[in-house]
Parts: sequence; structure tokens; C-alpha cells
Amino acid sequence: MRIVVAGGGVAGVSTVAALRAGGFDGDLTLVDAGEFPYDRPPLSKEYLAGSRELKQIALQPPHWYDEQGVRLINECTVAALHPADGTVELAGGLLLRADRVVLATGGGAARPPIPGVGGDRVHVLRTAEDADRLRAALTPGARVLVVGAGLIGAEVASTAVDLGCDVVLADPVATPLAAALGEDLAAWLHRLHARRGITTVRAGVASFAETTDGIEASFVGGAEASFAGGVEPRTFDVAGPGVAAEPSRVFDAVVLGVGMTPQTALAESAGLDVDRGVLVDAGQITSNPAVLAVGDGARTRQGPRVEHWEAARHDGARAAATILGTRAPAPTAPWFWTDRHGRHVEVAGHMETADEVIVRGSFDDPSFSVFGLRDGLVVAAAAVDDSTAVRAARRMIDRRVPADPARLSDPSASLRTLLRG
Amino acid sequence: MTQGIRVAALDDIPEGEGVAIDKAITGTADDIALLRDTDGSVWALDDTCTHEDASLADGWVEDGYVECPLHSSKFCLKNGEVQGLPATRSTCPHRVEVRDGEVYLFPNQAP
Ligand SMILES: Cc1cc2nc3c(=O)[nH]c(=O)nc-3n(C[C@H](O)[C@H](O)[C@H](O)COP(=O)(O)OP(=O)(O)OC[C@H]3O[C@@H](n4cnc5c(N)ncnc54)[C@H](O)[C@@H]3O)c2cc1C
Ligand code: FES
Repeated sequence: MRIVVAGGGVAGVSTVAALRAGGFDGDLTLVDAGEFPYDRPPLSKEYLAGSRELKQIALQPPHWYDEQGVRLINECTVAALHPADGTVELAGGLLLRADRVVLATGGGAARPPIPGVGGDRVHVLRTAEDADRLRAALTPGARVLVVGAGLIGAEVASTAVDLGCDVVLADPVATPLAAALGEDLAAWLHRLHARRGITTVRAGVASFAETTDGIEASFVGGAEASFAGGVEPRTFDVAGPGVAAEPSRVFDAVVLGVGMTPQTALAESAGLDVDRGVLVDAGQITSNPAVLAVGDGARTRQGPRVEHWEAARHDGARAAATILGTRAPAPTAPWFWTDRHGRHVEVAGHMETADEVIVRGSFDDPSFSVFGLRDGLVVAAAAVDDSTAVRAARRMIDRRVPADPARLSDPSASLRTLLRG
Repeated sequence: MTQGIRVAALDDIPEGEGVAIDKAITGTADDIALLRDTDGSVWALDDTCTHEDASLADGWVEDGYVECPLHSSKFCLKNGEVQGLPATRSTCPHRVEVRDGEVYLFPNQAP
């Protein structure tokens, strides 16, 4: 059997690794557009800061592909799938034979249709090239606007301030990430920006315009918009919805952190079902049984698309199990991490489904966590510099261990013993 | 050093957890993580995760593996083998013996 995996992000590389680990001894080819398969989370953190180089964030060391008998085709894209002929077409026209194809093409950073968004000073962040270009703009004193205060926007803002930039972070939402983290923790995290001297603006961007001095962004606020941080916190009263908070400001660089767009073009032209992601079943199979899809670009019909590292890795393991006809690893509660302003944040489960929130420790402590309960069971946890709490919570969620709110909220009570019941 | 170095009392290491032993004591290149599995057995691995620089002694120890506290890579307690991304390199195991409730470490010796 011949398998071609299109895309060498964590989903594609995990698929290949799990196939070989599971005993697949057929022909295995991995095609990736990049210089070599590398990891994305450091692109907004250490790689952007310049403390890690590309080869340090390789998903596998270079010799691994030979050792595993994987044909790696770098700096090349898959141009088309021809499932009916059992072939995959590479850019340049070369045809590879494939009995099964795994689409692991991830996606691209979203670029909303804001006037002027195509300018040279406007950046997105999805690839190492994006990070290199952005890094060159993050010089000390550079006036930087980050649009979007979600995960990637917050990380970029934090890295940019570390690099000495003068940062403005704009988001129309009052408390970004409130659904994923719970209102209080999200608000606390968002306030870290202002404490580090970042100006946070509750506003969206209406347009960009090149000026002789930089790029001018005009903001559209909600009913209120505040410029906090910097030297003196300032609040602007705005006449009403849709009115600019501060008419406009000029920046040296703009970074858009407003989400990703799944790469579905290959699937669409091959006639597969696509709806905000390549649609797959529980075994990652698309509407054509010869094609599987994994990672950020795929979505099960029942659920939303998940855009986190570990979910992509699990998708790869599941796709491999489907191909091998073995049992897929048991599903676990979703998990992701993010780092900003020197704090390591982890989240497991679905905080938005909680009907009760318990704080373990205090927001002033060096580390603390928040547990989300529903009907007396732990359904989510989020922690700052306390990975163990999230690891324990994940097991409580997966094993449906009844929660004891008193012990959960007591930082001196061991979560490990709580887990044992 | 056939006797090994006494580095901890067994009771100092709760099941499922680890403690880091300073390289000044062990004479090794890296600190060593003493890790106590859920079955009570004790193991030793180089402390620094091969992915970035988290301390495996702060990790989650369970069923023969330690899970890195930062990005969840798992390492086999017996032989240090890495079980999954993002770490790609195995870590170095060291021999440990428990005698009379005391933990003795044999740095750089195979378990
Ligand atoms: C800057 C940044 C920071 C992040 N930080 C975190 C974090 O801290 N924690 C977390 O949990 N998640 C984080 N994520 C999310 C995580 O990185 C993604 O969920 C994960 O990368 C998804 O993996 P993937 O393999 O599905 O897609 P991708 O990583 O996008 O990989 C897809 C690959 O396919 C290649 N490709 C695309 N089209 C083709 C084609 N036609 N032919 C060949 N190759 C193709 C691309 O070049 C790419 O290498 C971050 C993401 C970004 C962008
Ligand atoms: S530092 Fe251990 S997995 Fe990243």
C-alpha cells in the first residue's frame, strides 16, 4: 500500500510517525511546502523573539525520515488529488501513486477584508517566513499595532514588548478568551498587557492607510473604548456605537491575529465535502474513503473545528489507526497551552459548559488554577504556571471522577489524591 | 562508586511525583530527576526535557512514564525513550537502588 501525506505540520508528521510505529511497512511519502517540517507554537514565542532557530523547532531531526523510511519531499506543494486514478499531483506536474491520501494542510492566517490590509506593513503569522518578516519589523521603539487579543495576538504583543516595541493591542471584545478561560481569569490575563506597558484598546480596525510616516489605522469602538497602559491609563468616551474611539494612529507595523482559514482548496477541487474545514468522520475519513484529513484543516460533522496543537497530533494518531485497522487511542479532554508575559497558561476541557467555577489559590499567587464544574463533575480547568493542576483535571474529566469543591479550592490538598477518589 | 550516592529518603518522594537532584551532587552534566511511579518504584532520568528546558521532576509520573510539565511529551522511566512529540530525543536513564527506605543513585550507570 502507498500512502501520501500532504502537509508536514504536527498533524502530518504525527500521522506518519503513528503509521510506522503501528507497523505500516508500505510506501510512505510526506510532502511539505516548507524548508522542512517544523513546529508552529514557537513562531509567536521563542522563534519570533530570536532565541530559537528554525532547526531547533524541527518536528523531527533530519535523519528521522531516512530511519523511518519516509520519503520527505520538501519545498513542494500538492497541487491536486485524483482519488479516482489513485494519484496525487505535485506542483510541477509530477504524479505520485497513492492508495490513500492524508490531507494535513492546516490553514492560513485569516486576513479580514479591511481596506488597506494588503499593505507591506501589515503582517500575519503562520509560517517561519511570516515570523522572519515580522521579526525584522519588531525593532526597539517600533510602533506596533496587534489586531486581535486572542491566543496568537496576545503572544505576539508580549514578544513585541519584550523586544522593546511600543505596542497597542486592539480587540473589540471586552474580555478576549472569556469563553475558553472563564471571565475572571481571562480578565486577569488581559490586564497583564497593560501592566507590561501595552496600550489595550477595545476597538476594531475600520481601515488602514499608508502615510509618509507609517501605516495609519482607524479604529471603530463599541459604546466605550479605553486606552489603558503606557504611562497613564486613559479612557475615551465615545459618542455611540460605531464611532471611532480615537480617530486614528500611525504605526510602523501591524500584526493581524484574528484567526485562521482552513486550507480546503485541494479537498474542494477533488469534490470532497467541505464546510468550514474538510469534513471527516470519527476515524478522520472524508467523504471519499481513499482520502483522510487531519489537523487544523479538518472538522468532524458534529463538532467545531479545533485549532490546537494537541488536537492535530491526536488526529494524526487516529488517522493512522484507521488506515491500519487498529484501535484509535481513547479520546481525551481537549488541551492547549499559551505563554504570555512570562506566564505559562494551560487549559483543558470546555470552560464554557461549566455551571460553577472554583478558584484554587489566588490570582495574586505565583501559580493558581480555576476549575469549571458542571453537575458536580469537573468539565474544565485553566491554570497559570501550574501544569500539574491541568494534568490532574484532565484525568478527572476523562475518568468522570466526582469533584469535591472544598478540596479542589484548597491549594494545600493534593489533586493527585483527589484523583484517586 | 559502587555504593551509589544517597540522594533522598524514599518517603521524600510522593508516588506520582519527582524531585530534582542537583548536578553538583551527582556530578552529571544535567540535574537528575528522581521519579516515583504510581506502583511505588523509583527511577532516575536526566532532569531537563529534551524539547525545551522544563524540569521532568515537575512532571506527572504514571504507569511507567513521566509526562513533561510544559508540552506533555512522555518519557519511559526505564530507558528514557521519548514517546511522542514535541520532544524528539530520548533522555538519559540512571541506575537507582532503594535500600532500607533510602534512595541511592548511580549516575551514568545503566539501570
Ligand atoms: C504562531 C502560532 C502559535 C501557536 N501556538 C500554539 C500554542 O501555544 N499552543 C497550542 O496548543 N497551539 C498553538 N498553535 C496552534 C497549532 O500550531 C496548530 O493547531 C497546529 O500547527 C496545527 O497543525 P496542522 O498540522 O494541522 O497544520 P499546520 O501546522 O498549519 O501544518 C500544515 C502544513 O501543511 C503545509 N501545506 C499546506 N498546503 C500544502 C500543500 N498543498 N502541499 C504541501 N504542503 C502543504 C504547510 O506548509 C504546513 O507545513 C499556534 C499556531 C500558530 C500559527
Ligand atoms: S519542554 Fe518538555 S515537552 Fe516541551
